[in-house]
Amino acid sequence: MTAPGLALIATQAAPATGLRSWLTTVDHKRIGILYGVTAFAFFLLGGVEALLIRLQLARPGQGLVSAETYNALFTMHGTTMIFLAIMPFSAAFFNYLVPLMIGARDVAFPRVNALSYWLFLAGGLLLNASFLAGAPPDAGWFGYANLTSRRFSPGPAIDFWVLSLQVLGAASVISAINFIVTILNLRAPGMTLMRMPLFVWMALVVQFLIVLAFPPITVGLLFLMFDRFFGTRFYDVAAGGDLHLWQHLFWIFGHPEVYILILPAFGIVSEVVPTFARKPLFGAPVVIYSGILIGFFGFGVWSHHMFAAGMGPVADTAFSLATMIIAIPTGVKIFNWLATLWGGAIRPTTALHFAVGLIATFTLGGLSGIMHASPPVDLQQTDSYFVVAHLHYVLIGGSLFGLLAGAYYWWPKITGRFLDERLGKLGFWVLFVAFNLTFFPQHYLGAVGMPRRIYTYPPGLGWDLWNLVSTVGAFGIAAGVLLFALNAARSLAGPAVAPADPWDGRTLEWRTASPPPPHNFDTIPPVYGRDTFWREKYGPRPPAPVPPSAEAALHLPTPSGWPVITALGVGLAAGGALVHPAVVVLGGLLALVAAYRFALEHHDDPAYAHQVGALGVDHRKVAMWTFIGSECLFFGTLIATYMAYRGRSVVGPYPDEILNVPVTTVSTFVLLMSSLLMALALAAAQRDDRRQTRRWLAGTALFGLIFLGFQTVEFTAFVHEGLTLDRNLFGSTFFVLTGFHGAHVALGVLWLASLLVLDLRGRLRARDAVKVEVAALYWHFVDIVWIVIFTLVYLVPA
Amino acid sequence: MRDRPDAPAHLSVRTYLTVAVVLAIVTALEVGVIYIRRLAPVIVPLLLAMAAAKFTLVVLFFMHLRYDVRPLRVIFTGSLAVAAGLAIALMTLGGEFLVFGR
Repeated sequence: MTAPGLALIATQAAPATGLRSWLTTVDHKRIGILYGVTAFAFFLLGGVEALLIRLQLARPGQGLVSAETYNALFTMHGTTMIFLAIMPFSAAFFNYLVPLMIGARDVAFPRVNALSYWLFLAGGLLLNASFLAGAPPDAGWFGYANLTSRRFSPGPAIDFWVLSLQVLGAASVISAINFIVTILNLRAPGMTLMRMPLFVWMALVVQFLIVLAFPPITVGLLFLMFDRFFGTRFYDVAAGGDLHLWQHLFWIFGHPEVYILILPAFGIVSEVVPTFARKPLFGAPVVIYSGILIGFFGFGVWSHHMFAAGMGPVADTAFSLATMIIAIPTGVKIFNWLATLWGGAIRPTTALHFAVGLIATFTLGGLSGIMHASPPVDLQQTDSYFVVAHLHYVLIGGSLFGLLAGAYYWWPKITGRFLDERLGKLGFWVLFVAFNLTFFPQHYLGAVGMPRRIYTYPPGLGWDLWNLVSTVGAFGIAAGVLLFALNAARSLAGPAVAPADPWDGRTLEWRTASPPPPHNFDTIPPVYGRDTFWREKYGPRPPAPVPPSAEAALHLPTPSGWPVITALGVGLAAGGALVHPAVVVLGGLLALVAAYRFALEHHDDPAYAHQVGALGVDHRKVAMWTFIGSECLFFGTLIATYMAYRGRSVVGPYPDEILNVPVTTVSTFVLLMSSLLMALALAAAQRDDRRQTRRWLAGTALFGLIFLGFQTVEFTAFVHEGLTLDRNLFGSTFFVLTGFHGAHVALGVLWLASLLVLDLRGRLRARDAVKVEVAALYWHFVDIVWIVIFTLVYLVPA
Repeated sequence: MRDRPDAPAHLSVRTYLTVAVVLAIVTALEVGVIYIRRLAPVIVPLLLAMAAAKFTLVVLFFMHLRYDVRPLRVIFTGSLAVAAGLAIALMTLGGEFLVFGR
């Protein structure tokens, strides 16, 4: 599909088919397909787990599986469906479609995109390797402390869960930063933020939610990992720990996670409904603002999951109000979709069936959600099947229906083939009926008192019939999913006949071939407004900004093996924690070496030097600021935990007995002055003063090393005075907080040393000043974190 | 660094040195005030204000956020606001402050 005379640099040398081509691909479309296929495989696995759960509950006193196996089944089902199926399904759509919809040739960091996928796969495989080890996690997808402590879960099951979730979290955050930069910086000329398609907008909101919501759960999981591996006291009540800490950290992530799962589906519906109603989305700006508001309020409602934990009336009231408020923007979207359908020239395709199905079933799930906003009502429903029903109305009736709408809608674009509409509609009705058959009775079961997470129940409680109905419905859902799989298989076996624009679409992805060529567009498309392709076809067309002239030679990123090798190293290190420390070291070294090669792979290639985008800022700089935003949450959570646990240690040493303010003041001064040297290094690099750059970089790294030396001396002295990681809450929180800060400093020193070596070899040129700038941002951030730690830990009196 | 059209190409060395001197002085003041008993009633807000001042100076001048494009400022300040809000809520719910009671 390449226009005559258009040369494609880099892709010519790339293998187009075969295993190697998939292992080394950096094409966002192929990575999207990898996400989709992998997510579907995990979805089937999670589905089998669900069927086993429902078979066990079909009749009272059933003995199909043991209580222990049942615990593992519902834990793995929840974890799999959320982290390995629904989230990566959304990632598949983001990967394939976002660059196309904004008129870009790829994502901002194609190799990092590949790394995200391979890390996701490593995390997913590690989690499911627990089955092979005979130790699947069994403490629920929420992993409440202290069910997860070594005392109550002594085997490796929880270790599998903790380690794999850490890897999956890293994959998600890296991917989210990539998409934020892509959306902000790679939009085609003329595509202002308010002209972006709704799906892209929801993708952007979701990426920010991931970047901000994952660090608290990462910290929670780190605490759990340290408790289990190193004996820290974070979740040890006897040592003064608070089990609510885990619940807070989990739900600070867990509730935004609901929106991470549902907003992509909302974005899809906002594309499907206007296309098949042949009308612009009613009140599109309001739908955009509603999405942003949902994301924002999503951070203020987490404790409605904890009404039963006893937080007190003021906290209950605050979170109850916030939960009720968040229903408003959600309701706005529902009305806007209905208003779009109203009076439209409707084409009842399968995609529209699923979109309308979402509107109906998600509304029901939303209504039962509002009930949970009221603490007295919530207390009656907590841990009952009513909550299971609500959750599945949101995540199947909402997320999955939306994703299936997207699958039917964009299938011709992705594969160049059509799905069978008759089979699709049959599949929809089977799924719709079976879904309601499965989950609607669970409202009743919960209301009459059936608790969730019980592996069996005695007869005569009035639960028998509706559990049987629910199980029959679950097999109906399985049939609906198989119908989709059959439809997909038949389509893929057929000829590629889909035109570029089979649905008379409104957005830019329909402007290129189905499937699109590797470079997406021969020339960057013009943008005339929101629904730009519709305007281009049917007018009126306001003048579009002139896109860049047709490039004689398009530069596409070269395939790379380093992402998969880096992910292999990370996976090996994580899995190694369950085997032997030597494996951790081996995996860590492999990851480090691969990451280093990854970072320098294109260092000398001038084609990779210029990465300035729509914001007028280099991609790498936008990425670093976004990463710093995420790190604010990471260190914010660590610091808040230190403060919340301050004064709770039940044995000494206590902070005021041991902290040495004068010595730490000196190390603080050293770190502050290192920031001055870093600023001078950057100024020198920007004016291409090589000698001064070297001098100030070396000075910064040296000051960093001196700071680390102070920290080592401090830690050693504390250990000699009896303060260790496992001594008391102060030791646990202090060493983990300052230790992670120290690790950041050490990483910064390594980074600066790498830049210095490059400079000494004459490989740090004027065009590389942005690399020094990005390192400088990281270094200064580490500095400002210490400013906060120094004040709160060392100076503020206990 | 030069992302806003009106931004200077480079901040001068003098500016960087001035910021560094201010940082050093404020750090010395921070440590000094904890030994002054008369300041005990206001020591916490005083220390927090001085830490905030140092934090702001580094962000604005060393990290050049003052001269960067608006989206970068929004990304950082937005994330910082969410982090601060969650941290305060977490400390409050954890009993560090007695705003909500238990």
